[in-house]
Amino acid sequence: MIELLAPAGSIERLKIAYLYGADAAYVGGYNYSLRANAINFSLEELKEGVKFAHALGKKLYVTVNIIFHNAELSNLKTYLEDLSSIGIDAIIVSDIVVIECVRKYNIPLEIHISTQSSTLNYETALFYKKLGVKRIVLAREASREDIKIIKAKTNLDIECFISGAMCTSISGKCVLSNVTTNRDSNRGGCAQICRWTFKINDEENKFSMTPKDLNMSRFLEDMVNIGINSFKVEGRMRSIYYIATIIYEYRHLLDKIINHTIKESDILYSNDIINRCANRESTPQFYDKFPTEKEQYFLGREEVSNQDFLGVVLAYQNGQILLEERNYFKVGDVVEFFGPNLEPLTYEIKTILNEEGDSIPVARHPQMHIYLPFDKSLPSNTMMRLKIFDKNDYL
Amino acid sequence: MKKNNILLIVTDRKMLTKIPKKLEESTITFLFPLKDFTVGFPEIFTLKEIPEDGFIFVNRILDNAGIDLFKSTIKNIPPNIKGIVFDDLGIINVLNETKTNLTKILFLNHFNCNYASINIYLNYVDSVVISPDITESEIDEILNHASKPLVLYTFGHLNIMYSRRTLLTNYNKYFNKEVPMLSTLEEDLSHHKFKIMENVYGTVIYTEKPFNGLRYLTKPNVLYNLINPIFLSIDEITQIINNKTDLNAIYPYQYLSTTQTIYKLKEKDL
Repeated sequence: MIELLAPAGSIERLKIAYLYGADAAYVGGYNYSLRANAINFSLEELKEGVKFAHALGKKLYVTVNIIFHNAELSNLKTYLEDLSSIGIDAIIVSDIVVIECVRKYNIPLEIHISTQSSTLNYETALFYKKLGVKRIVLAREASREDIKIIKAKTNLDIECFISGAMCTSISGKCVLSNVTTNRDSNRGGCAQICRWTFKINDEENKFSMTPKDLNMSRFLEDMVNIGINSFKVEGRMRSIYYIATIIYEYRHLLDKIINHTIKESDILYSNDIINRCANRESTPQFYDKFPTEKEQYFLGREEVSNQDFLGVVLAYQNGQILLEERNYFKVGDVVEFFGPNLEPLTYEIKTILNEEGDSIPVARHPQMHIYLPFDKSLPSNTMMRLKIFDKNDYL
Repeated sequence: MKKNNILLIVTDRKMLTKIPKKLEESTITFLFPLKDFTVGFPEIFTLKEIPEDGFIFVNRILDNAGIDLFKSTIKNIPPNIKGIVFDDLGIINVLNETKTNLTKILFLNHFNCNYASINIYLNYVDSVVISPDITESEIDEILNHASKPLVLYTFGHLNIMYSRRTLLTNYNKYFNKEVPMLSTLEEDLSHHKFKIMENVYGTVIYTEKPFNGLRYLTKPNVLYNLINPIFLSIDEITQIINNKTDLNAIYPYQYLSTTQTIYKLKEKDL
């Protein structure tokens, strides 16, 4: 089984993740989830998410991965029973009390151990296996050899991150946020203090401890070959454009790996798309070597935000695309459409029509509805972005 | 009168000769950071260096090579070593396989913030260190519900971040500097200060000041009161374990023991 696993912080993003190629997605409920400040999901929304996922033959996992305090124990059983009853495919946990609750009350829920539990060796994985755990999300510090050995010695499902932000700390081993801002990092309130600016001793240099993002596109084929089952993208707080772009690229790469048609040019092209979308530099971090100063930002992020995401296709009617604008664009811009089951399509904007049908030279109001003449039908939820990279340049 | 059982991390070799194991009000058990298996300590010890009745401290998150090294190490553990404090669940499996008589104490640092989780782990180990990140009232509730006596972090600087990265080495390479492997870190906006220490296995950030939970010495259902005297002098350590003078003015820092943390931003507005 090879699974592309997407994050989603809202029902809209969840649907986008599935449509753009995720086999499964992970989300947080209103309680017990480590992204307490994402929009997150009510039980009704989780039901809607499960229905949407299962109709497509896909899966939905729910994070129940806070470190529980006494006060949070009282409603746990009811919550887990609710998740089970609505058909959630698995829960992602880090506190042993959740595992015990599932076992004790025979709640039919598959259990995945969160990366928050920092599993880095096969004995720890076997400890969890004895408790009935089906899958381990390994610590992001796991090397290729660690992953290979854990898989071989446990035969558990192994899930690894392939994309997204990294903690400076081993996950679950940091309370800088608690001490500095009183926000509990292990209950979803992390203020990301490691990304703030520091000084050491009397040194003049100011610096951050921020790791560059994780990007495993170059090693994806190797990860498939060593038996990793689930390829996880980080980012429950990220936008629909980010999720669509990252999932779209990794879907294409994984499909080509599975079909044995992957080429170096595919990886290079996807890398550029992913890095531009993430707006950060990225590296494989711990997989192939021990990270050095080259895998960190010391002076904060040097990149400038881009406005590549121009709009979302709402419908196609009468030879025109109905688009909801997200960022400024104008007549003469060269853009690109990409979407579910759609290879990137290049398009030069020659005419922009407003809702009244008047021709306008620029689209400058986010959320405004505009029409673009187009000779081919595009499905709703197709994204329009500024064309920056041309696949042909990589061949 | 019942004596306090203090589990005292050995952070300076001189402690072994200067600190008596039996005091008027307390009995001291020394806890030794074990070579190859610890992060964040200036002194580390081989098994041969550990005296009678010592405990070993293994606070690294172990990779496969680390757990294999631990397996071969534990096979040769001398009988004078009486206990182990550890932070990697894989060690539970290893200790069960080796059928050791060591007193097993689990210290997951930021985990174990509730009594239910602790009672589950108590099926596998002899005791658990309650997370120091919770309030005193939460600790009291845990002690009331615990099925065995527990260990309380009672005094000392706290490990508040553990990274596998060598953050100080990386800093030195990037800026072409030579800051020492024990340094002071200052956040630029809030001016919070921390201590930062690196070894080959990673980097630990400690609170700037030691947490003073000496009032925890009187709590019931406690197996040991854990004291981490890192960054303190022998005289200061002696004064703390004797606990005869009021140290609250000297060590006022209460860490998170008096304030409940929040985790949803909207709570700030309530």
